[in-house]
Amino acid sequence: MCVSLSLCLVRWSRYNPYYLDPDPSKDARVPESELSPEEKELQELKTVSPIKAALSSDTSSAFNDPLISKFINMMMQDGNKILARGIMTQTLETIKRKQVEKYHKSPAAKREEIECNPYTVFHQALENCKPIIGLASVQKGGKSYQVPVPLTDNRRRFLAMKWLITECRDNKHRRTHMYEKLSQELLAAFANEGNVVKRKHDLHKMAEANRAYAHYRWW
Amino acid sequence: FAKKIKIVSITFHYINIYKKLSKCKICYGNLTTFNLSCPFLSQTYHSERHTGQYYTLPAAHIQKLFPHGLPPRFQLQIKTFNEGCVMVRPPALELISYLKKADYSKPPLRYILYGDVGTGKTMCLSHALHYCYTQGWLIVHISDAHLWVKNCKELLPSSSRPSRFDQPIQASQWLKNFKITNERFLSKVQLGYVWTKRERTEKGQPLGELVDQGVNRMKSSSDVVGAVLRELRLQAGGATEGEGAFKLAVAVDGLNALWGKTSLKKEDRTMCEPEELTLIHNVRKMMKNNWSGGAILTALSQTGSLFKPQSAYLPSELLGEEGFDNMEPFVPVSVSNYNEKEFESCYLYYLDRNWLQHSHSRSEEGKKELIFLSNKNPSILERLCAFL
Repeated sequence: MCVSLSLCLVRWSRYNPYYLDPDPSKDARVPESELSPEEKELQELKTVSPIKAALSSDTSSAFNDPLISKFINMMMQDGNKILARGIMTQTLETIKRKQVEKYHKSPAAKREEIECNPYTVFHQALENCKPIIGLASVQKGGKSYQVPVPLTDNRRRFLAMKWLITECRDNKHRRTHMYEKLSQELLAAFANEGNVVKRKHDLHKMAEANRAYAHYRWW
Repeated sequence: FAKKIKIVSITFHYINIYKKLSKCKICYGNLTTFNLSCPFLSQTYHSERHTGQYYTLPAAHIQKLFPHGLPPRFQLQIKTFNEGCVMVRPPALELISYLKKADYSKPPLRYILYGDVGTGKTMCLSHALHYCYTQGWLIVHISDAHLWVKNCKELLPSSSRPSRFDQPIQASQWLKNFKITNERFLSKVQLGYVWTKRERTEKGQPLGELVDQGVNRMKSSSDVVGAVLRELRLQAGGATEGEGAFKLAVAVDGLNALWGKTSLKKEDRTMCEPEELTLIHNVRKMMKNNWSGGAILTALSQTGSLFKPQSAYLPSELLGEEGFDNMEPFVPVSVSNYNEKEFESCYLYYLDRNWLQHSHSRSEEGKKELIFLSNKNPSILERLCAFL
């Protein structure tokens, strides 16, 4: 239980629909001449309507990455954000170390192919883990069928992250640290190998196999 | 016009230095504008104008001299970058200049490196120690005295003295490292010593045999450590010229462990004093300046210390009364955070080694953010740049 920190919850997750999300980036202000009429309307709206309270994990610095923040939130258990963020930074460090070591030991010709930036590795690995099509359970005539169904972007991102985390928590040796397991999985996913990408391919194959039931979907 | 001449003469001077460096047969590694990678020549050239520049420790030297001496994060950095580069900083230069000018027929000077957490005391000590190694001194290096006063699994009552405690694992580990570092001296130094009533080493036996005995027989290893230190002390100032002459460099990191408290318990569950540990007792004897022919380089450390607040960094706070009285008189050398030039150099080094990957960290604003977040503290900057 994360009781030791004296964080008071300022922001609820239930707000009136007309509340706008805060935009912490410094480049939010663009001169008026470059805005299209819709964007001008949006700016007008921002001056008038109320804005939700900013989360304590959002920063105006350019080092702030929303995808990484989302992943940290998904890894967090019992509200221990410090631990989750620590694991994430250690993961990024491990990925970078492995790649930079490879970079320095390889000859000059092969150096350009090695991706050393842990953030691009993370983004690309996540992209490689995202399923394109999913399965939903539909009941018809007393029997439930697995029907192939399109997924929204949020759902795809959620599934990719969930699979990564559960894979690392369950299917690895218990004595390795989480950041080691994560870095191994992420580097494998970056190269389109590993268990998570395999799970995505299995889902695609199931969806392909159940093509006949696609008409059971009414939405 | 005078300024132009000055600039031209300075550039010629630097070109001459680089020419000499590039002609050195032992030199290897890349010579970028901020990298002095000739270890042997650059040692004599290390002066104030080289502050902030990096120099490469040759891999062979790292293996021999620092089997256990470098901080763990620096070891990771060596593995990642495939080279070990140390920044030349004013405290290390000060220490090396004192070592150059000291009179070695007199008792040894005691140097204490002190400073806030993460400012680079251990690295400065390693730099000075590398200088001593290249000058051919005999190195006695205790990489972290705190490891001897806590987390000890085997605490045996001493065989030779009734009220002392031995630490066989730590002692034998240290003897192995000592052997790796000082291989060339092991056959030269002669001695004679009595162990227990049954074992004795005859006079004229080389030091190597004594060290081997300590490594092989764990029970007497702590006593062997004491004997080795005693012999080195007696012989350091002995032969002034000729074959047997050597200068002794005693380096202790985490000096405050010798006079602090231990977290070890005796069998009747009372706390153990550092006095009662053979290893600590022998190192304390080394710290006295009743021998000649060497130097004592030490660094304080709050990070591994026991029962000391994190804000304490001055010698009087960390050593305590007893430690301070024992170490006095000493030469204090203060180590502080990077200044702007050193920060620049560190930043450029990380860029050169392809370490700063985040696009924002390579911009001016990102650099300002790094300065703000780390306050130019070397260790915090290193940890920040690790995931950026």
